[in-house]
Amino acid sequence: MSQDASPTVEQSRLAETPLQPFSPRLAPCLALHKAVSWLLVVLALTWMPLGESELLAWRVWLVAGAAGLGALGVALAWCEARRRAYALREHALVQRRGLLVQRLQALPLARLQHIETRSNPLERCFGLVRLACFTAGGRSADVVLEGLSPASADALKQQLLARLHANAEETSA
Amino acid sequence: MNREWLGEWQRLSPWAMLSLLLMQAAEQGRQHLPLLLGAGAGLTLLDAVGWRELLLAGAAGLFLALLLAWRYYLRFRFRIEEDVLVVHQGLFEHREFKLAARHVQQIAIRQPLHMRPFGVVEWQVVPMAGDAARIILPGIRQSTADALSARLAPAMPAPDTVQPPHYAVTVKGLLLHGLSSRSVIVAAAMLSPLVRPLERWLHDAAPSLALGDWLPNAPLLLAALGTLALFTLLMLLSIIATVWRYFGFRLVDDGGRQIQTRGLLQRQRQSLTLERLQVVEWVETGLGRLLGCGYLICHQFGGAVDEDRRFVVPGIIDGKQRELLPAFWPGVTWPAEWLAVSRYYQRVLLLRGGLLAVLLLAGGGALLGDALTAWQWLLLGGVLMALVVLGAHRRWRCQGWAHSGGYLWVRHGLLGRRTHVFALHKGISVDVRQSWLQRRRGLATLHLHLAHGRVALPFIEHATALLLADELLAACGPSSVVEIPGQVTP
Repeated sequence: MSQDASPTVEQSRLAETPLQPFSPRLAPCLALHKAVSWLLVVLALTWMPLGESELLAWRVWLVAGAAGLGALGVALAWCEARRRAYALREHALVQRRGLLVQRLQALPLARLQHIETRSNPLERCFGLVRLACFTAGGRSADVVLEGLSPASADALKQQLLARLHANAEETSA
Repeated sequence: MNREWLGEWQRLSPWAMLSLLLMQAAEQGRQHLPLLLGAGAGLTLLDAVGWRELLLAGAAGLFLALLLAWRYYLRFRFRIEEDVLVVHQGLFEHREFKLAARHVQQIAIRQPLHMRPFGVVEWQVVPMAGDAARIILPGIRQSTADALSARLAPAMPAPDTVQPPHYAVTVKGLLLHGLSSRSVIVAAAMLSPLVRPLERWLHDAAPSLALGDWLPNAPLLLAALGTLALFTLLMLLSIIATVWRYFGFRLVDDGGRQIQTRGLLQRQRQSLTLERLQVVEWVETGLGRLLGCGYLICHQFGGAVDEDRRFVVPGIIDGKQRELLPAFWPGVTWPAEWLAVSRYYQRVLLLRGGLLAVLLLAGGGALLGDALTAWQWLLLGGVLMALVVLGAHRRWRCQGWAHSGGYLWVRHGLLGRRTHVFALHKGISVDVRQSWLQRRRGLATLHLHLAHGRVALPFIEHATALLLADELLAACGPSSVVEIPGQVTP
């Protein structure tokens, strides 16, 4: 492998970045979201009109299976949310997420175009905010940080905007 | 060029209105051809309404179209303010577009056949926001288009300026590109509205529709003739489409720009600002690999999906892509050797393919039941498994990567092959993913988000994936010393 060793790379190992967790309220929020989704599936199976078909005898098992899968999904969502973390480095935004498939995502701040804060009703109940970061040419957000408290989201947004401004000045200079 | 001249408000050429009307009529006709001619709808409408009423409705429609075109002409104007292009347009709502010269990504000039006698061209500019934000001046004089190009892209030469091309497509290259590219699909799609009318014509004109009267008796001869006819027709269509689009293709190096000219009847000139070039993709289709022909696609931010609008270098043969790449990025060299991904990737593909084959067999068994005998099922299963094994091996063999001189090369494919080349500092974001199996084996999949989409590098060493991610981040910023914001607390 013909790697071009850069001196800066030695200083900036992605894997060694100290990450900080999201709000502890993220886990119950995501678990509740998942539970409601699965509850809808369970209710649909419970009240689905099956007539006299053979599936009628299996309805209990179908409902139990869906409920079991739902419980597993809720537990996984809870564990995954507890594992999520992020970091703002000098020139990159890093996020770790995923449980079965683990994902370490890094967005260079030089690529950042604009930032949005979003929150759905469930997140507002838990006092959480999402921060969506967009890059040039992208049709959707490239990095979404879920589970920030409004204060930390605002502070992070201000820092990112300051970096954006500094980048723009560097580019114009 | 006279700067004052473009500083005043300019209008479209009056001939542009005629061109717009013609093109709109052709487009509407093409879109509604099945509705007009399919299943006798047009004749039924004619019977129900009558000739005179239909002509009157047509005349009224034409009058309305002329009125709208006149209003469009009056409201469309443009000028250059300093280095900013300002366009006012809109039929019922007033819209203003402003584009600074430094945000120009690509300029294209098209001249369809019906515009040639009037010396009118269609001028297009793609800003950095991407193809969705493309600004089109649908019909302006050639001299105005050249002046605009010169103001917004100062180095773009006039079409009369003869510069030696550093690449020109050969007849052989054009034919091979026609045979091996996706033009056949485009040609088939363009001709698809004609299928129904042709079917109706055959129904009326043919003496007998009984299939047996038309076909030869020998089954083998029939199969061979059918295959040959279909193959010949598709190849012919593909070559026609390619010649139509890329006839006379020449690529001129103009310092910071590459300028291409092409087209049989519709002449087109496109300029690509190399500073804005993000990714170069070398494409070889399955047939293209057999014939030794491929093409290059130059990707920018928000690139067009339509192949006609992309910056494509077609019909590259005899390994010319190795000489062309340094014209886009000086110093870049084709890698001498490619690094393979882990063998576990092949095993995972085998597992996925095997599961899919089993599902297909189970589904087929449930549907067909006893229609096939046991040995036929065995044969089918064997063929499916052989395909899965071959496919997994080919995918694994085609997957490869290389890193040299600050450029990363990623290639993938099955029968054909696509190779993406980009400078590390052109990456948008990076994503290192590990499944449960990959964690056990110390592997990872690197997802690179680039201007034209996502490119995955599966099943490489985890440490290598992290190193590549680190290098990409370092290339994007002067330094990346870890800094945790103190005041940001969850």
